[in-house]
Amino acid sequence: MIGQISLAARSLPCAARSPWVRVAIAALVLAASPAAQTANHEGDFLTRIRRLTVEGRRAGEGYWSPDGKKLVFQSEREPGNPFYQIYSLNLTTGDTTRVSPGYGKTTCSFFRPGTDEIEFASTHHDPKSKQYQQEEIDFRASGKTRRYSWDYDPEFEIYVYKPGPTPSAAPTFTRLTNARGYDAEGSYSPDGQWIVFTSMRDAYNRTLSAEEQKQLDVDPSYFAEIYIMRADGSGQKRLTNVPGYDGGPFFSPDGKRIIWRRFDTTGLIANVFTMNPDGSDVRQITDFGAMSWAPYIHPSGQYILFASNKLGFENFEIYMVDIDGKKEPVRITYADGFDGLPVPSPDGRQVAWTSTRAGGSEGQIFLAQWNHEKALEALKSAPMRVGVR
Amino acid sequence: MKRVALVIVLLSTSLSAQQPAVASRTRAAVEFLASDRLEGRDTGSPGERMAGDYIAMQLARVGAKPLPGHRDMFMPFEFTAGTRDGGSTLTTRGRQPQTFRGTEQLQALSFSDDAMVSGPVVFAGYGLVVPESQGFGYDSYAGLDVKDKIVLVLHYFPEDTDAKTKAALARYSDLRYKALAARQRGAKGLLIVTGPRSPNAGQTIRMTSDTALSGSGIPAATISGAVANALFVGAEKPLAAVQAELDSGNPHVPGFTLPSQIDLTTKVVRERQTGRDVIAYLPADPGSRIPDSGRPWIIVGAHYDHLGHGTRGTSLANKDEAGQIHHGADDNASGTAAVLAIAEKLAKQPMRRNVMFTLWSGEEIGLVGSNAFVMNPPIPLAQVAAYLNFDMVGRMQNNKLAADGVASSPIWSRILERANVAAGFDLATNPDPYQPTDSSNFNQAGLPTLFFTTGSHPDYHRPSDTADKINYEDLDRVVDFAAAVIQAVANVDMAPEFTKVDPPQTGATLAGVRVTTGTIPDYTTEAKGLLLAGVVGGGPAEKAGLMKGDVIIEIAGQSITNIYDYTFALELLKADTPVKVVFLRNGDRREVQLTPAGRR
Repeated sequence: MIGQISLAARSLPCAARSPWVRVAIAALVLAASPAAQTANHEGDFLTRIRRLTVEGRRAGEGYWSPDGKKLVFQSEREPGNPFYQIYSLNLTTGDTTRVSPGYGKTTCSFFRPGTDEIEFASTHHDPKSKQYQQEEIDFRASGKTRRYSWDYDPEFEIYVYKPGPTPSAAPTFTRLTNARGYDAEGSYSPDGQWIVFTSMRDAYNRTLSAEEQKQLDVDPSYFAEIYIMRADGSGQKRLTNVPGYDGGPFFSPDGKRIIWRRFDTTGLIANVFTMNPDGSDVRQITDFGAMSWAPYIHPSGQYILFASNKLGFENFEIYMVDIDGKKEPVRITYADGFDGLPVPSPDGRQVAWTSTRAGGSEGQIFLAQWNHEKALEALKSAPMRVGVR
Repeated sequence: MKRVALVIVLLSTSLSAQQPAVASRTRAAVEFLASDRLEGRDTGSPGERMAGDYIAMQLARVGAKPLPGHRDMFMPFEFTAGTRDGGSTLTTRGRQPQTFRGTEQLQALSFSDDAMVSGPVVFAGYGLVVPESQGFGYDSYAGLDVKDKIVLVLHYFPEDTDAKTKAALARYSDLRYKALAARQRGAKGLLIVTGPRSPNAGQTIRMTSDTALSGSGIPAATISGAVANALFVGAEKPLAAVQAELDSGNPHVPGFTLPSQIDLTTKVVRERQTGRDVIAYLPADPGSRIPDSGRPWIIVGAHYDHLGHGTRGTSLANKDEAGQIHHGADDNASGTAAVLAIAEKLAKQPMRRNVMFTLWSGEEIGLVGSNAFVMNPPIPLAQVAAYLNFDMVGRMQNNKLAADGVASSPIWSRILERANVAAGFDLATNPDPYQPTDSSNFNQAGLPTLFFTTGSHPDYHRPSDTADKINYEDLDRVVDFAAAVIQAVANVDMAPEFTKVDPPQTGATLAGVRVTTGTIPDYTTEAKGLLLAGVVGGGPAEKAGLMKGDVIIEIAGQSITNIYDYTFALELLKADTPVKVVFLRNGDRREVQLTPAGRR
């Protein structure tokens, strides 16, 4: 079962990445935590649940275009590259087109509002990209399996894709970051002028103490912090300064806050936080004492959807909580395995998320109708959180 | 859908009829096909003929034509409607010859040759031969010369062995396999007795419905305990003692020649009838037709036959319902109606490939109609790009549609994903093309296949599978989705590549399963374990407290990861012997004791 946990998480890197090796060890201790015996209320909030992605080994992290007509996501679906590439799916025609160059590792894409551009993180400039692809293919063919740990490849840099002037013209890729250390998990402000992202550059741009060096060897995500930059890559600025993995940042719908998740230094406990875009006024929203992550604010601005493994180490479910985190979070999904990375559509009437509910250990993207009115009702009647600050 | 080995069904619930807001494109066909007038559409029956006429009329109405070179849409096939013993006898020679006759004492097996054979009888234990490749040494014939002799073997497999041994032996205990083993060693006849230490001890084996047109190359009969005892007169030990030795599982208990010589006459009466497949097509758009090298045909099919009054053995009617009309609204008036509506929709769209519509009969008695087609195809199969099958698509719940056989071509997942963006089903894909429905014949023939179904339910193979319970709104959505999938296949330049999928490595068969647990597996949802769609009212599973939504992960110490594991584990259970069942309920691991019931 432990293997399954870590495998499930393979499909959900960016908004929700965590140090998996330690997770798996902890699972040995925590695996017995009993799931609560509760009636299934999924249908109160999610209706017409349907699987969106079918092709390929796995898919995840679907983010909506501002007009709600497309979804950009990552998927392993092309022979020859065993790593994620980025795809844009037209929800009207069903057509899917690859956005990323097709080689290297990619992750974490996002539409730039008001443009036809898409940002994502990629290693394709690394001359060893294709060699790594072949090594991974050979490794899988050998039948061996490894315990998964995302490698936080320090070559990851943030790129912007812009389609060519005609459908047959080649797209352009503009590199925005240039710091050694993983740069990824980017997302735009609602006006399309800013990008918040995660970087581990702090582990590479200074001399580390012996203890820090050891930490880097075991798990570089310890050094991950939230950064902000202009949409052209200029003005890169660090916003957080707390040990442990800060990651998965998104702007609020009005652009006035940033929401993200912060792991403690053990990498076992994560909580959702918000702050101002200049890094001030940090507020903690959740306090489950579990791994609560992948937060995203509903377009109404009134509440947050996030995922947590509160009910069992391998059983991630989606929850929602009021925007200030004053109430007890309300559970949304009721399925074994992984449900996470919830992203509401721009009109707030649908939700895309990543789930293993179709079976197996690899995630796929699901869509459902979202009942906003029921959500507001449930939040209203939720009890106040104990010890709320 | 042909009955699956482990559908072990059913509880009774009534669903409220749904009235669609708009006119359904499938309701009229389902209501007609499932009406009392058609009396359950048993293959070869007047009801089946009426259904076939109706289907041909509907196909003609939407503009489909008989295949090139054919005058009408009917393709008849012969099948064995039933088998019965035609007066087999067994006579022991000696000072006091005894003659046995009558099915209580002696009954030819349905696959027996008709023959008269005489000679000594050799007792060969359980008649089991495990191939060397299995790495498990067991050969009931080791050291025995049975050439030109009549072999007597026990039914089933050793009773008292551990689970692992049973697991290794059970899959070779099928009667046909035992007959094959005896024939290959030169035996000229086979007798089978259900031993005194086995379930249904001493009774002759009921003749199963067997659709084989001829015998299997050896006279084979089942005998009663009394007949076996007569053969054992003068032997060193009685049968019960010999069986007790064998039941330990010791592979070295030798067989031996019995004192008696016998004359055996076997006669099987096979009643032959004719069923009809209905076949028509929509020609490709002449302007953009795919060349022959690109496989210019697609076949879209569903079976329209059902169980009649349920007399053939795969009925799951309870006592109160036995003999009533089995309406088969979901199975498979729903699939038939879907194919007719697909034809109507595609008739208005230009396509680059010809689309053939095949409505099969004989499915419920062993995929006979589609097998006749594949064996003698009216269009070379090398010109066929793919086969799409619809079987039980009328009872959608929670937006869930299963697409099975996705691994049979690399093209399927892409086509399904794209078509489903508009359709919006919670699509459950299953790679395995070996399914208990007509598509498996096309998979065997090397064609990419897809099989759509909305899964089993408590009315499966019962008279209560009626038209008022069909979810017509979602059935119409299946039609639109399927039409989009067919369009996609029809218009690709290169025919989909075929990927051969290895058959499931279990060999689990109905023959080996002697108990029922009263579970209804959910075929539409993939789960690690056996997900229950329900439990049979009053059955062992319900008594044990299992319910819909539970996932069985272990039974009697055997871990269960899929339905094949489960079938296989069932072979090892004994009636009335409680076993531990481990299952997940809402993610919680729980255990119960379940006491399987015997089945006949």
